[in-house]
Amino acid sequence: MKDYHYTGAVENRFSPYAFNGGTVLAVAGEDFAIVASDTRLSEGYSIHSRDSPKCYKLTDTTVIGCSGFHGDCLTLTKIIDARLKMYKHSNNKTMTSGAIAAMLSTILYSRRFFPYYVYNIIGGLDEEGKGAVYSFDPVGSYQRDTYKAGGSASAMLQPLLDNQIGFKNMEGVQHVPLTREKAVQLVKDVFISAAERDVYTGDALRICIITKEGIKEETIPLRKD
Amino acid sequence: MKDKSSCSRRKLLAHCTLSKMALASVLSSDCADFSSDYRQPFAFGCGSGQNEVEHEAVPEASLSFCVKNSLLAGDEDGVERKIEFLHGTTTLAFKFQHGVIVAVDSRATAGSYIASQTVKKVIEINPYLLGTMAGGAADCSFWERLLARQCRIYELRNKERISVAAASKLLANMVYQYKGMGLSMGTMVCGWDKRGPGLYYVDSEGNRVCGDLFAVGSGSMYAYGVMDSGLRHDLTVEEACELGRRAIYQATYRDAYSGGQVNLYHVHGEGWTRISQDDVLMLHQQYKEQA
Amino acid sequence: MEYLIGIQGPDYVLVAADNVAASSIIQMKHDYDKMFKLSEKILLLCVGEAGDTVQFAEYIQKNVQLYKMRNGYELSPSAAANFTRKNLADYLRSRTPYHVNLLLAGYDESDGPGLFYMDYMASLAKAPFAAHGYGAFLTLSIMDRYYRPDLTRDEAMDLLKKCIAELSRRFILNLPSFNVRVIDKDGIHDMEKITLGTK
Repeated sequence: MKDYHYTGAVENRFSPYAFNGGTVLAVAGEDFAIVASDTRLSEGYSIHSRDSPKCYKLTDTTVIGCSGFHGDCLTLTKIIDARLKMYKHSNNKTMTSGAIAAMLSTILYSRRFFPYYVYNIIGGLDEEGKGAVYSFDPVGSYQRDTYKAGGSASAMLQPLLDNQIGFKNMEGVQHVPLTREKAVQLVKDVFISAAERDVYTGDALRICIITKEGIKEETIPLRKD
Repeated sequence: MKDKSSCSRRKLLAHCTLSKMALASVLSSDCADFSSDYRQPFAFGCGSGQNEVEHEAVPEASLSFCVKNSLLAGDEDGVERKIEFLHGTTTLAFKFQHGVIVAVDSRATAGSYIASQTVKKVIEINPYLLGTMAGGAADCSFWERLLARQCRIYELRNKERISVAAASKLLANMVYQYKGMGLSMGTMVCGWDKRGPGLYYVDSEGNRVCGDLFAVGSGSMYAYGVMDSGLRHDLTVEEACELGRRAIYQATYRDAYSGGQVNLYHVHGEGWTRISQDDVLMLHQQYKEQA
Repeated sequence: MEYLIGIQGPDYVLVAADNVAASSIIQMKHDYDKMFKLSEKILLLCVGEAGDTVQFAEYIQKNVQLYKMRNGYELSPSAAANFTRKNLADYLRSRTPYHVNLLLAGYDESDGPGLFYMDYMASLAKAPFAAHGYGAFLTLSIMDRYYRPDLTRDEAMDLLKKCIAELSRRFILNLPSFNVRVIDKDGIHDMEKITLGTK
């Protein structure tokens, strides 16, 4: 019956977006920063790759974690890399984490009406050598944090980090500064837990530890099912 | 009419090259140029001589469709694709005998997920102008940053500070150009100028109104309730701060999309000062003890 | 929700507009002036889409003022009305139409008083009395019943008050106060605001 009735113009617009899952996490300490991500690339029910880390090294003191639509992640990181080179050539110095964050914000906002579908988290050292984390929404709103999870399992990681790093809603506890060892262990634990419950997170965990000595990378296996 | 438009545009063109120097490095390159200086298609663009500057600006094609549909629509795979951020909010500002009080919460939500509890929803435009944030976080921070630039340029050109009325109109005209394209922004521009305290409400619909009391966001109704029953012009600074803090607190208590901390600012003759930042959890205990 | 009204008499035009600036369901402002002074003897009353109202009215206002500077004489009310209508009509067929409903009231040395009704579809009509908004449904009939071309100013004011009383009686939304102005051969005169019981 319904088919005989003309219901007006029906628009079926091509939507050039996909969601490829993945989780990223960054933690800032006194003199270090950690950026971590899982390495699974999936779409719907199928897993495309088990070795696709979402951490991208930008400078000697800055790493970015990108999750969301993998195509946009790649485009975006390539644009950032190009802009970093341009900056280096015209200013003869590398961009600081804070400057990269401000730049990323404008890059993201320039596509306000056709956004990059990417959740970005930048981890690095600031001008004083202190750990810094900047988290973004897909259209460029950003702020500095001390720890932040993004991507598919962010809602699983963040509450645990609030408790363990932010000491949120705890009474009578001593707010001890986060050591690098504890931070790394915590990152491993939260990812192992997330892989247990999130279908888009798993396979392996890539951790980038940023200190003034440089960036150290580590890979830890996660559940592969 | 045509003469007016083309002559003013020529003048603006000269300005735009000037103003582009300032933030060119931040905004140029692959980024679209959102400078508002010379793009006035509604107000002035009815003549024919608009080509000279138009093509320099954002390519119309890339801006002419709405993201909301393609992103917010549920897909077959059932993946929720929300890009809108920070919709729940309570912000308020009011005038009284000693200036303007600005009070805001600090929660950012993406759907039902609390994305952050520590957002700075008061944007410090310059030492005597404040903007508040409700709606899209990126929209507010981007356009108010651009407003800050325009205000600075105004200062350099005219050797005097911009009035709150003029600043708010700059912002309103900038976002009016994008009306109907999906910007989401409800902001209060607060400051102090020759005329004394200034308070304007500006939103992405195109509204711009002057007033003594505004509340914006999902919790605004609750805030209005408290404010309307407690606001007098002759409040002391302490009383006014407490009223603003209490109104935000009550809004966070009723509105699930507001919460975190209460940030408080006071705008007076010498500019603005940050008064306090109180966690709602602490305020709750404090008010419970008082009662 | 908004309400505009105009009544023309033998040597004057009486206009009124509500004072509410609203954003969704909230009244943001209770003393908002919806009248724009185009020249010494022309007023433009404007309601409609947020943002469009002020942008369009100010655009017309500035161009009417520019016309005077260029030519050394002012547009007559009917010329201003036709200019406004032409702009509205051109924008209606553009990608960015203005959604505004207007009343234009003025006094001309040769033509006498004039009241023009215009809506967002760019229709234009000269009328002895006119109203915009939901309130128009309630009040046009009152004016049909009681209007006479030889209405004195006091009688016109009584008619206006009758209309506003009907609004406060039947209209669901609270419009607490109204700006009232009279235009005659001496220019625009502010009359006392009409305020209703609450607030």
